[in-house]
Amino acid sequence: MTEPQPAEDNDQRVATDDAVGTDAAVDVADDAPNRSSGVDDALLAVDGLRKEFGGITALDGTTVGVGRGITGLIGPNGAGKTTLFNCITGFLEPDGGQVRFAGEDITGARPAALAQQGLVRTFQIPRELESMTVRENLLLATPDQFGERLTGTWRRGERFADDERRARRRAEETAEFFELDHLLDEPAGNLSGGQRKLLELARALLTDPDMLLLDEPMAGVNPSLQRKILDRIHDLEEQGYAFLLVEHDIDVIMEHCERVIVLHRGEQLTAGTPEEVRTDERVIEAYLGGEEG
Amino acid sequence: MVSAGLLDALATGLVTGSIIAAGALGLSLIYSIAEVPNFAHGDMITIGAYLALVFNKPAAIPFLPDSVPLVGTTSLAVAGVLAVGLGATFSAGYELAVFRRFRRKDADLITMVIVSLGLALILRNAVLFLAGSKNVSYATEPVRDVFWDAYLTGFGLTIQLTQRQAGDIVTLAQWGYAWWLAAAILAATVGVGYAVYRERSAGEGFDVVHLVDPRVLGVGAGLATLLLCAYLLRFHSGVVADPLASTRVGTSWKDGTVVVLTALAMLALNVLLKTTKLGKSMRATADNLDLAEVRGVDVDRVQLVVWVVAGLLAALAGVLAGWSASNVNPNMGFSLLLPVFAAVIMGGIRSPYGSALAGLIIGLSMDLGVYFLPPSLAVYREAIAFVILIAVLLVRPEGLWGDV
Amino acid sequence: MALADFLITLLTFVAVYGLFGIGLNVKYGFTGLVDFGHIAYFMIGAYVTVVLTMPASVQGYGGIGGFDLPGLFGALFPGGALVGWFVGIACGMGAAAVVSLLVGVPTLRLREDYLAITALGIATILTAVFENEEWLFNGPFGVRSVYEPLAGVFPVSLGSFTLNMVVLGGLSVLTFVVGAFLLIQYARDADVRTQALIGVATAVFVLWYFVQPLLGGDMVELQRNLMWLFDPTAGPEGGLDYDRFFLLFSTALLAAGYWWVERTVNSPYGRVLRAVRDDEDVPKALGKATYRYKIQAMMVGSALAGAAGALYAIQLGFISPGQFGSTLTFFAFTAVIIGGTANNAGVLLGTAVFWIINSGTRFLNDFVPSEYSVQLAAARLMLIGALLIVILYYRPEGLLGEQEYDVGVDDGDAPPDRAVGGVARGGDGD
Repeated sequence: MTEPQPAEDNDQRVATDDAVGTDAAVDVADDAPNRSSGVDDALLAVDGLRKEFGGITALDGTTVGVGRGITGLIGPNGAGKTTLFNCITGFLEPDGGQVRFAGEDITGARPAALAQQGLVRTFQIPRELESMTVRENLLLATPDQFGERLTGTWRRGERFADDERRARRRAEETAEFFELDHLLDEPAGNLSGGQRKLLELARALLTDPDMLLLDEPMAGVNPSLQRKILDRIHDLEEQGYAFLLVEHDIDVIMEHCERVIVLHRGEQLTAGTPEEVRTDERVIEAYLGGEEG
Repeated sequence: MVSAGLLDALATGLVTGSIIAAGALGLSLIYSIAEVPNFAHGDMITIGAYLALVFNKPAAIPFLPDSVPLVGTTSLAVAGVLAVGLGATFSAGYELAVFRRFRRKDADLITMVIVSLGLALILRNAVLFLAGSKNVSYATEPVRDVFWDAYLTGFGLTIQLTQRQAGDIVTLAQWGYAWWLAAAILAATVGVGYAVYRERSAGEGFDVVHLVDPRVLGVGAGLATLLLCAYLLRFHSGVVADPLASTRVGTSWKDGTVVVLTALAMLALNVLLKTTKLGKSMRATADNLDLAEVRGVDVDRVQLVVWVVAGLLAALAGVLAGWSASNVNPNMGFSLLLPVFAAVIMGGIRSPYGSALAGLIIGLSMDLGVYFLPPSLAVYREAIAFVILIAVLLVRPEGLWGDV
Repeated sequence: MALADFLITLLTFVAVYGLFGIGLNVKYGFTGLVDFGHIAYFMIGAYVTVVLTMPASVQGYGGIGGFDLPGLFGALFPGGALVGWFVGIACGMGAAAVVSLLVGVPTLRLREDYLAITALGIATILTAVFENEEWLFNGPFGVRSVYEPLAGVFPVSLGSFTLNMVVLGGLSVLTFVVGAFLLIQYARDADVRTQALIGVATAVFVLWYFVQPLLGGDMVELQRNLMWLFDPTAGPEGGLDYDRFFLLFSTALLAAGYWWVERTVNSPYGRVLRAVRDDEDVPKALGKATYRYKIQAMMVGSALAGAAGALYAIQLGFISPGQFGSTLTFFAFTAVIIGGTANNAGVLLGTAVFWIINSGTRFLNDFVPSEYSVQLAAARLMLIGALLIVILYYRPEGLLGEQEYDVGVDDGDAPPDRAVGGVARGGDGD
């Protein structure tokens, strides 16, 4: 199990930012993959990841470092963001390279194992469990339930009841926060698009992850709820959670992310503070160069 | 004494494989384009076999209503053609009455499986109802095997054709090829085959779509050269005494017809898929149904054609199977179902050619397996197909060829 | 044959196949595993139980077996024979579970349609092995010596004909009363459609079972139907015969199996199973080891099938590989789908409906000359195939739909949340 120490990591994170800032000028001319100390010590480190789909290279030696706090991942369509998510979280097997989480090599590890270690992702198109109620979808997410073991469910007892009640309380609290509590007994298949996105996010949060990879969580959600969710994300970040956010809404990225990684054609184009990235010419060109942002 | 050996098992396997391939061709179309893992395919094969019986030997079907107009009892060839046509028509019926409706409801894969199971039950029992459970066979002249005996002597290769007529073994022909001649013919075969392959694959590139794969054409050209040379250069009668090695292959023109008809069916399908507009629509639908629809492909029409073609192929497989085994019974299709499914899954659902090739391999393995295994295990002939499938899926869960 | 006897045979069938169907429901209804080879575990359970409980050196049997567990245990302590049989059936269930594990390991990673065909293939191979290898379980000749637990005790009599009639007859009437009461209770809460269904079914049953003999003036028949537990021909004073006992025995085992499965699926464990069924990637992404759950579901479902097989063997008194064709699995699927996938009560209902159609139409055999028996059987199966398609189209959730789930934990005080926040998560709790 990973046991991250927040104090040291925060220092690391600061060091990473500095390193990227001062090396930015050097990086422009440097074609070698970004091997600054930020990648090696980051909470989530992707090192030279490659993925091909029958002739099309989706990830071309991608090297990316994600530390604590809220990091944004942007890039034009086809840059490889979802592929990167899939390769990191074990839904796709990379053709080469390495992924490290809290120092451990997790390349090609299965999604369930990663989720147990604290690395959880959401899906861009929400995947709710249609025949089950919203409540059941949420109850599923709480980890370490005694009743989820075959022997546990046969033996029942005190611990079984306690875990179930704890899971219920957590589910209800989260549902209330996401304003889904009136839908708790509704089959998830009946939810609207925006509600599904919320359920997707709520469920991921309930797993109590160390790092959450969010694939376009805001799409289709009304602005006031977006605000509320982002505030919550900040709260959690202060408690030590880490987030990697893929978003197309640049304003959201600019306002809420401490660090932004730009992906283009399967590799990292640049990384830095939102301001640095926004004014970087290469980024502007990548977005304007025939592909939509 | 000359006896049947490995080559004979290979020949038998080729016939078995052809029939499985014919079934696999149809199933892979339905699987990839209609997205139905069609468990009724085996019974569609059975129906095809019995349809031929309706025209060929109506007396064998006790429950056939007398009102059905029959052209007397027709030859198997004509009955076969009629059966194939009717089989295709029935198949259109399955699509219109059943599968189209479930497609409209966006049924998932497993629902389609179970629906096809229901259809299989209906078809098999319709046959049982009308024809009973007895074994019957077509009214056609019996075909006697010709034995091709090959001898390797100091002289070279000698091939003797014999046949059992009225109790005695009669020599029909004897052809000898001296060593140097045999070597020359072999060289010519390889040379021509390779040359054709090189010539056809010269224009390689993403935009070039070969009607027939250069490798297949190369092999075909080589085989044609071999046969032509062997036929033209057979002037010497050869030597059969003191052979170093000898073997016997028992075949008949029946076997040859089965293989040739299956190959023609594959070729025809190939032409349909690669040159016609309809074929391109079919391939587009296989790739991505929604996208094809957006691009103006009439998906309903394509699906209908798919079922018609598959029904045609299944009926063909049925008639060939019934003729080849001289036996038609209500379970024949179902016993083919598992090897056919194995072939389609092994060959990669998307590829009809991969499925057909896998079908050939499975057929060959089944008969080679029987040859190599001790006699007590020969009864597991059909299980061999399964064992192969399971082994393949263990190593490559997505099938041998994947997408072609 | 009196209607009562027919009903008893039918109900025993329904109990045995119901257990088989519940095992299938665990795999297919709750976990989404399309196991077309389910029959194999039925067969294994039957064979293993029979050969373990068979007396040694049975004439005409050339296979493995004759371990005579009832004899062994019976010699140790009174009532040991029954215990011996239960050990036998436990082994049968265990064998079925182990084989399903071996089958599951390579196949459960495949997608659903590949799983279906490979499961079917493996079951076909297994049946072929049982059929051809005489040294194993006597090959095609099967096993004729099936141990019947407690057979020697029956028929049971309470002393006199009158006493038997009063007690057993009274109990019979009681079952009808209780049954009617429960049915009314259930119907009261159900929707109009279900109520109509129940109404029609009850009416048909009453007409067929009670009114028919009444109208025919056959009072003896009516009395036998009413007091179904009492068999006046069993022994000199009448009593409870083995067939009736076996019906009760099977129903008891069915109830046990039913209760076991309900306990398993009305729980967080059941939630994970259904999540695997709906979309396996989701529980995976949430940290559940889905492969393990699938294997466990396979084993539990197969163990139940094995138990059903052991009961089946006793009911028939004889087993051979030819009885275990793949058609039976498809029948089970039909029963599950008709009654309600992922609904254990639905499975029982579907099984009852299925077998009533199947054996009910056997009555028609009397009106049809025997040379057409093949045709009649074929027509029956065509009807079933058509029924399957129609149900899938018009009511894919089956007659009863998916069941409701109740974990059985009330909303009491929840203990405080364990360590909050990812920072401390690694160090606390389990």
